[in-house]
Amino acid sequence: MTTSLVIAPVLVALVTAITCIFVRFDPRVQRACSIIGVVGYSAAVFALLARIWPANTLAYQLGDWPAPYGITLVADPLSGFLLALTAVVAPLTLIYSVRHLNPPGQRVSYHTLFHFLLVGATGAFLTGDIFNLFVWFEVTLMASYGLVAFYSDRDGTLAATRYVVLNLVGSSLMLLAVGGLYGVTGTLNMADMARWLAAASPAEATPVLGLSLLLLAVFALKAGLVPFQWWVPSAYAAAPAPAAAMLAGVAKKVGVYAIIRVGFVVFAAADPTFTLGGLAGDLLAAYGPVLFALAGASILVGGLVALDRPTFEETLAYSSIGQVGFIVLPLAVAAAVPALRTVGVAAALVYTLNHALAKPLLFLVGGIVEDATGTTELDVLGGLAGRSPTLAGVFLVGGLSLVGIPPLAGFFGKLLVFRTAALGDATAALGVAVLGAVLTIAYVSRMWNRAFWGERTDAVASMTDPDPVRLAIVVVLAGCIVAVGVGFGPVYGFAEAAGHVATGPGRDAYVRAVLGGGVA
Amino acid sequence: MTGDPEVVLALALGVLFAAGTFLVLRRDLVRVVFGVLVLSQATNVYLITMGGIGGVAPILGHGGETTDPLVQALVLTAVVIGFATTALLLVLVYRTYQEHGSIDLDDIQGAVR
Repeated sequence: MTTSLVIAPVLVALVTAITCIFVRFDPRVQRACSIIGVVGYSAAVFALLARIWPANTLAYQLGDWPAPYGITLVADPLSGFLLALTAVVAPLTLIYSVRHLNPPGQRVSYHTLFHFLLVGATGAFLTGDIFNLFVWFEVTLMASYGLVAFYSDRDGTLAATRYVVLNLVGSSLMLLAVGGLYGVTGTLNMADMARWLAAASPAEATPVLGLSLLLLAVFALKAGLVPFQWWVPSAYAAAPAPAAAMLAGVAKKVGVYAIIRVGFVVFAAADPTFTLGGLAGDLLAAYGPVLFALAGASILVGGLVALDRPTFEETLAYSSIGQVGFIVLPLAVAAAVPALRTVGVAAALVYTLNHALAKPLLFLVGGIVEDATGTTELDVLGGLAGRSPTLAGVFLVGGLSLVGIPPLAGFFGKLLVFRTAALGDATAALGVAVLGAVLTIAYVSRMWNRAFWGERTDAVASMTDPDPVRLAIVVVLAGCIVAVGVGFGPVYGFAEAAGHVATGPGRDAYVRAVLGGGVA
Repeated sequence: MTGDPEVVLALALGVLFAAGTFLVLRRDLVRVVFGVLVLSQATNVYLITMGGIGGVAPILGHGGETTDPLVQALVLTAVVIGFATTALLLVLVYRTYQEHGSIDLDDIQGAVR
């Protein structure tokens, strides 16, 4: 039973979600349950991390059915990295939500939806089975549908409908791809599929290429990459600020994680002499140009459109499209250049960590501003820096981290993205990254100039004092960003250990842990 | 295994996917819901064909070539998930109608923008 800890985070979040339904008769009890649950979740994740650290892989066979016949949950550094950032963002966001949302809304559904979102994301990070990944996606999505439709007003209903329709089409496509992969490889277990691909001849593996690109499109939809970004701005603007923080900070990262796990761990296992048309190299090499197109378009579209959005949260939503582009850019380079797999995945993970801390921080600052002034229109705001220096300081930390100023976490994110592109001799990727960096500086300084500097407008002059608890939460998040930047050594060490799973020996260790003894 | 039933299923799948895609692209939100439904059902039919058709029930001792039972378990899961999401989508479409007074996407978009 040494590996049963792997399932603990999922169980804690699931029990909390269900408990929150049954204790809704008393809002105080419900809030207490919810907060205790999320703290327990973080404790479970960090207990698991202590076992994974520095580079172990644990596999837990559900119901003791041996892999590949049963469902396997696998905790390796890649899963651990994403679980860790979830375990930091989730408790802060939840405590913020308790102060932010009106009591009736919390009582009916919010806490349950929040914890089901955690269940889904955690399950997706841990599962070693590709159909099970589909199920966890659906759990995450069901919860996020509820969060997007939370206010259920004019814009909210339309945004939620759009979000649901797009994702239902995405789910159908994913099911098609999963079914096809099962038909071709005869297995759903990711480790077993990697083993099958490693032994398959190029002719046998060819159908997998098309099916895997179908999967990639679905993951890009979940991650909100261009050209699948249509749901992002309306959904983030419609959701309550803390829910938008969770969607941008955690739910989007499920798509990024799936690209790494399925693309770099499973499909990269195919015979390295695989060729198709003009494309040589392994199966993953075909991903290179596709990922680059998605990442480049996201960086440019997100950055350009963010330049003239009228409100705080719309600017942040488009910024989040651009930032996910930055996460995928090193993956594109790494897919095309096999020698850079570890470096590229590590760069993507560090950037993911930066975005998962900075973007929720900015959404939460937006929520505080909206609560205190009654608006997030950049035209109506001005002079916030003089009115609330703490809030301004926190915004600056988050904004500068997006830009990439040392010693913040974002500096290392940008540095590693540029380094991967330079090592891969990818001039086009470097060019897009530089352009994207300039655009980021432009829209962050625009928000800063409009909302925080300048003359105090009427809305700001008559604003109420920001809630100290919520202010403390964003200060803690800002502290995390600084801490990651200052103590970057161990963070990068762990990201590199996670990236190692994208190499031959790392993949072998993963396969051994799942199909062999459960520990590697 | 003979090709005949599989050819029929392949043609049916093509028709279903075409119809689903056509409906999803309509302006009328209810037709979009129908389109999503047809697409997800088409996917389920596709999954069933992945397990092979024409074999006997996979029960020990029945003998002969069996049909793969795993895909049928997958389809059951997918049907349940599809049922829940479709119910939610119908509620959302109804709420959209209540808020906007129309289910024509052009009318709604025109009013919002």
